[in-house]
Amino acid sequence: MPILSGYAADFSQGVLVTLELSVLGWVGALLLGTILTALRVSPIRTLRAVSAAYVTVFRNIPIPVQMILFVFGLPVLGIQYSLFASAAIVLVLYTAPFVSETLRAGLNTVASGELEALRALGFAPGPSMVHIILPQAFGTVVKPLGNVLITMIKNTSVAALVGVADLTFTSNKASVDQAQPFIIFGGAAVAYLVIGLVVSRLVASLDRKAAFSR
Amino acid sequence: MTTVTLFDKPGPRARKRHAVMEVLSLAVLGAAGFGVYRVLDSHGEFGAAAWQPFTQWGLWKLLAEGLGNNLRAAGVGMVLSLAFGALLAVGLLARRKAIRVPCRIIADVFASVPLLLLLYFTSLVLPSYGLKLSDFWFLVIALTLYSSAVIGDLLRSGILAIPNGQTEAAQALGFSGLRTMQLVLLPQALRSMSPALISQMVILFKGTALAYVLGGYLELLRSATVIGTYYSRSLLQAQIVAAVVFMIINIALGAVAVAIERRERRRQGTLPSPDQVPEVMAEVPAG
Repeated sequence: MPILSGYAADFSQGVLVTLELSVLGWVGALLLGTILTALRVSPIRTLRAVSAAYVTVFRNIPIPVQMILFVFGLPVLGIQYSLFASAAIVLVLYTAPFVSETLRAGLNTVASGELEALRALGFAPGPSMVHIILPQAFGTVVKPLGNVLITMIKNTSVAALVGVADLTFTSNKASVDQAQPFIIFGGAAVAYLVIGLVVSRLVASLDRKAAFSR
Repeated sequence: MTTVTLFDKPGPRARKRHAVMEVLSLAVLGAAGFGVYRVLDSHGEFGAAAWQPFTQWGLWKLLAEGLGNNLRAAGVGMVLSLAFGALLAVGLLARRKAIRVPCRIIADVFASVPLLLLLYFTSLVLPSYGLKLSDFWFLVIALTLYSSAVIGDLLRSGILAIPNGQTEAAQALGFSGLRTMQLVLLPQALRSMSPALISQMVILFKGTALAYVLGGYLELLRSATVIGTYYSRSLLQAQIVAAVVFMIINIALGAVAVAIERRERRRQGTLPSPDQVPEVMAEVPAG
């Protein structure tokens, strides 16, 4: 179809942006989520409260609202990043609480006897967390974390709200320009479907490995 | 939200260390808070000029109208997607492959496509086929397409969790397959899945904010933006008010979900149930 030939480049560019946002968002969300979890179980009451407050606030404000606030609201205060960076940051801010809550559920499954054993073996709280507890917690929540990741990949589309040329944005633009909405949206849907399938396959195989080790 | 105490009761030395760290982290938190305050204050965000528009009744009415539109869309979307989700669940459990496979494809496709893409799709494609609907319906249709797929799968696993004896008993009593579904299986699945369904409601409610892209649909986020165009001094304030309102409603819905889940837990044994829903899934609506 000649009309669509010009679209192929845009389409692959859109897929690329979506993938970039996904990778950046996930790395950031895992980091921030882990930190939040560590704060949440720390013996310091202030840190626990900070983590709980963060999770409550950022989990319950819809991501479109956060995106618009970040991109159109914060420049009032002189805080402004590129659109792509803003989208990635908001994605991290919004996803981290979900990562943290999931991880905390995993932490709860690690037997407290193990902690006592570590204590008896002379492990300090910090190292026992990093070397023994967290790896196990991650192991038990591979699948739920995978679900968080898949949801986050879908949430990358919210970047289109502020004009980041991701898959959703380019599809919409192309449908307006080229009047072939069925083919274009269908193509985008297939792309999201494939990304989701690949990710869930990866998660499943990772989970099998984790299940073997536990 | 229980706090796990990961470590033993601290001894005297650890307690002293914790006290020091407590003070330190409070100081850091205070400093950070003060920094934020300074930035906000230096731009006059606490000034009377920025908040003056909020003394007008009409502005609150605009925000309330926006919120009402969010709630209405979420409510209608939820009712519709419960209905279609139940249908889809029946289809997903059908014995005939010709019914089951298409239902599976529908459920998987619509659950894995972003809501925003669906919203663009409905608002662009439906009008070109002569369906001149309002923005409200574009939003509701997009929400329903997505949410029916999710709810269909939820109800399917809810039904599968019910012991086979129930179906057999219903059939022995002379219920037809459809009646068994309608009178015996679906009500129980709805009940056991209610925490997850409320989480889905939260996701729907959050999703209504996407209607911002339609431009013409006055939802809460759009109301805040409209206020910002009239009173450019108050854009940030209006957005923050909108964000806080969204937050409060979602916290309330989340609390309801947790309360229901706890009640269901207590009923355990009389109903097949939340064991099937991993806690993580029920408590964390990852929308």
